[in-house]
Amino acid sequence: MACRVIRSLRGSWIRMALLALAVALALVVWQGPGGSPVQAQAGQVLRIVLDGAKNREAELQAVAGYLRQIGVDAQVRIWEYQTLIAEAQRGTRDAYATDWGSSTFSPFDLAIPKLRTGDRGNFSFYSNPDVDRLFELASTTVDEAVALDAYHRAQRILYEDAPWIFGYYLDTIEAASERVRNWRPSVDNRTNLHDVVLEGGDTLVVGMRADRIQSFDPADHRDRDTETVLRNIFDGLVTRTPDGQVVPEIAESWEQPDPTTYIFHLRRGIRFHDGEPLTAEDVVFTFERILSPTGLDGRQSPRLGLLGPLQRVEALDDYTVKMTLSAPSPVFLQLLVHTQIVPKDYLTRVGLAGFVEHPVGAGPFKFVQGRLDGDIVLERFDDYYGGSPDLPPVGPAPLRRVVFRMMPEPGARIAALLAGEVHIIHEVPPDAVAQLERARGVQVQVAPGTRLYAIEINNRRLTDPRVRQALNYAVDWETILRELYRGHAHRVATAFLPSGFGYDETLQPYPYDPDRARELLREAGYVVR
Amino acid sequence: MSGESGSLRVLRRLLAAIPLAAGIVLVTFALLRLLPGDPVDIMMGQAGNVSEAEIETLRRQLGLDRPIWEQAVHFARGMVRGDLGRSIRTARPVAALIGEALPATLELAAAALLFAVAVAVPVGVLSAVRHRSALDHLAMGTAFVGISMPAFWLGLVLILIFGVALGWLPTSGRIDPSLSVPAVTGFMLVDTLLARDPAAFRSALEHLVLPAVTLGAELAAVLSRVVRSSMLDVLQADYVRVARAKGVNEWRVVSRHALRNALVPAVTVLGLQVGILLGGNMIVETVFSWPGLGRLVVGAIFARDYPVVQGAVLLYALTFLAANLLVDVLYTVINPRMAMG
Repeated sequence: MACRVIRSLRGSWIRMALLALAVALALVVWQGPGGSPVQAQAGQVLRIVLDGAKNREAELQAVAGYLRQIGVDAQVRIWEYQTLIAEAQRGTRDAYATDWGSSTFSPFDLAIPKLRTGDRGNFSFYSNPDVDRLFELASTTVDEAVALDAYHRAQRILYEDAPWIFGYYLDTIEAASERVRNWRPSVDNRTNLHDVVLEGGDTLVVGMRADRIQSFDPADHRDRDTETVLRNIFDGLVTRTPDGQVVPEIAESWEQPDPTTYIFHLRRGIRFHDGEPLTAEDVVFTFERILSPTGLDGRQSPRLGLLGPLQRVEALDDYTVKMTLSAPSPVFLQLLVHTQIVPKDYLTRVGLAGFVEHPVGAGPFKFVQGRLDGDIVLERFDDYYGGSPDLPPVGPAPLRRVVFRMMPEPGARIAALLAGEVHIIHEVPPDAVAQLERARGVQVQVAPGTRLYAIEINNRRLTDPRVRQALNYAVDWETILRELYRGHAHRVATAFLPSGFGYDETLQPYPYDPDRARELLREAGYVVR
Repeated sequence: MSGESGSLRVLRRLLAAIPLAAGIVLVTFALLRLLPGDPVDIMMGQAGNVSEAEIETLRRQLGLDRPIWEQAVHFARGMVRGDLGRSIRTARPVAALIGEALPATLELAAAALLFAVAVAVPVGVLSAVRHRSALDHLAMGTAFVGISMPAFWLGLVLILIFGVALGWLPTSGRIDPSLSVPAVTGFMLVDTLLARDPAAFRSALEHLVLPAVTLGAELAAVLSRVVRSSMLDVLQADYVRVARAKGVNEWRVVSRHALRNALVPAVTVLGLQVGILLGGNMIVETVFSWPGLGRLVVGAIFARDYPVVQGAVLLYALTFLAANLLVDVLYTVINPRMAMG
């Protein structure tokens, strides 16, 4: 029937177009069923739906199993990740598995955006004025002891309020051929190839976990994999050791005459890949491009937020740059690691389109050819100034040629490493570690990750902190994490990471205590088992 | 359709394709915007250091703050002018992104098609000629396995056998990275030929083998079954019996008299599958680290990069329409009686 209708329409242009238009309009007008905020009601069984993406399904099923053991009616639903996040932001979910990354090794971009009232990442709708005040104090004071104390107090409150079912962080697991020397994964996922040596070879291939990087312009992305590639082509004023310490790179030294002023002294004799010298002018240009709302051919750089409260950048002379902040920022230097210096003359001459066709930086490798989604080929820059003196060796890179290959399928990365086609691979799944450790000629290395995984709770729906605490007591996380992540997942007590500033080591994660969980639920008026 | 000439029919079909393609793209436009998730929010990621003001500025600059009908009109205007817009995620023109990814996909699809036809036609014909023989059973059994096997699994198994265990063939990428040649056409085989670099050509060819076999396996299986059954039909036909009665030798009967007619249903299947080869190869592209269109589109859907998805859907729609049209035309070439209608 429907077939006949469509067939009769097929000859006619206008009717077909009208049909399509009608369908489109109907779809646009229909907004989809919104979530009805249901208050959890006392005197009955607690019902909770755990939502998550495919990669967390096993974990959520296990958590739901533990919850059912104490009489909670727990269900699991699986979503495409971005759909889930959008729904959580609208407040239509009870509890959902999420993860959130930090790049400053500070609660500044982790606990604060996730748990401060009304912040961008806070879609558990948690709100506690005391926590807000402590966060405000900790993130603006220049007194480290005050900040530390404020963060510690905030963690105690968070622990009691239990806005989430607190989770864990995962190790960054990477593997390489045994011929690869002087390499280890960084806490910030960077693969610094400048220092790497390949025994018996000078062309090294990295198997990336991404299916594409976002740009060849270091000011035009918000993506770690992109940064991993670009930081081999471009250098910043400062960089970071694999353990997360900020050390000088293009800047030789700096001073901070007052809390909102930084003076950077640039290293002399640094050249870009096109032979032009790097001066204060290039540094000012780099930062002004990002600060300006129209810095990228009329668009705003997505990296503005990574400059923190930076307000003004000036060249005092050819090798001195002054930066003025609008407010003191304890994490400013950590943020600065993420801005790479671009050549003013070259970029202005070839334009943005020309620049992303053939990027030119001052980093250890120069661009040869490549596409965002394919092999990106770089070659050693022989006139390299040497890089950070804190990250030996200093001088031109030992490798002659490096290639970044986009390999989104983990099985393909592992096979290619075993076949000897690639030499370093990113993101090894925890279940593959044992196989790789047994394989000949392969090394597996681990660094603590900077993403926090949790099951967030909609605090507008589950308003009683006793219920949220009960959910934390009810789950045997040690067993779940051991079985699923083979020792590569580590619990945290709240929403702070041990690799970051302000972590309270004395605070222990919620223990597995189903009796306590039952007690709390009963107190809150629910039937338990 | 009697009385209508072939070329008029083709023209009519071409004209009908225009509103159809426009309708498909418009529906895609609407469906994408119904998907929960905001492209700018996704681009900024699940991480800190992002202010609401920053997100608002980006949304405004991308025109995402305007009402949906305005965005639709803007998009439709662009499409009429042949401008597919810019990718939200990478700020590059959609046409350029598709243009970059398409050759890799076409090269792979062509190789897979070649493999499928090269395997399926002889296997199908032999199975029909040696009907119910051990060879027939073996071939059709293999074909059955081939149809049932997921490409993802087959790809990984081939990688483990021929890449890791035997070390005969490369498992990822399009060419050995130490041999890169200038990208002129984007077709690696052509570019290596243009560069007059036999080692690079060989490397490109080797890199093509496993993905092409993986992508072509299912088609080869389907096709060999189709060729076999239509061949069986044709071999019973009167004109074949006549040819045999005239004393024409069996090889000639099969290759000249029967095969040509038996290929008509195969071409139909092929026409439908060509679209699938282009559109459905995302899995093969992922398993073999092959930078093609399928991966571009799936990544764009996850990133809610609306213009890229719209552009690619338009291309897919046109490909399917063109493939169907081509099948019609091919019918008349293979079997001139079809032209009569």
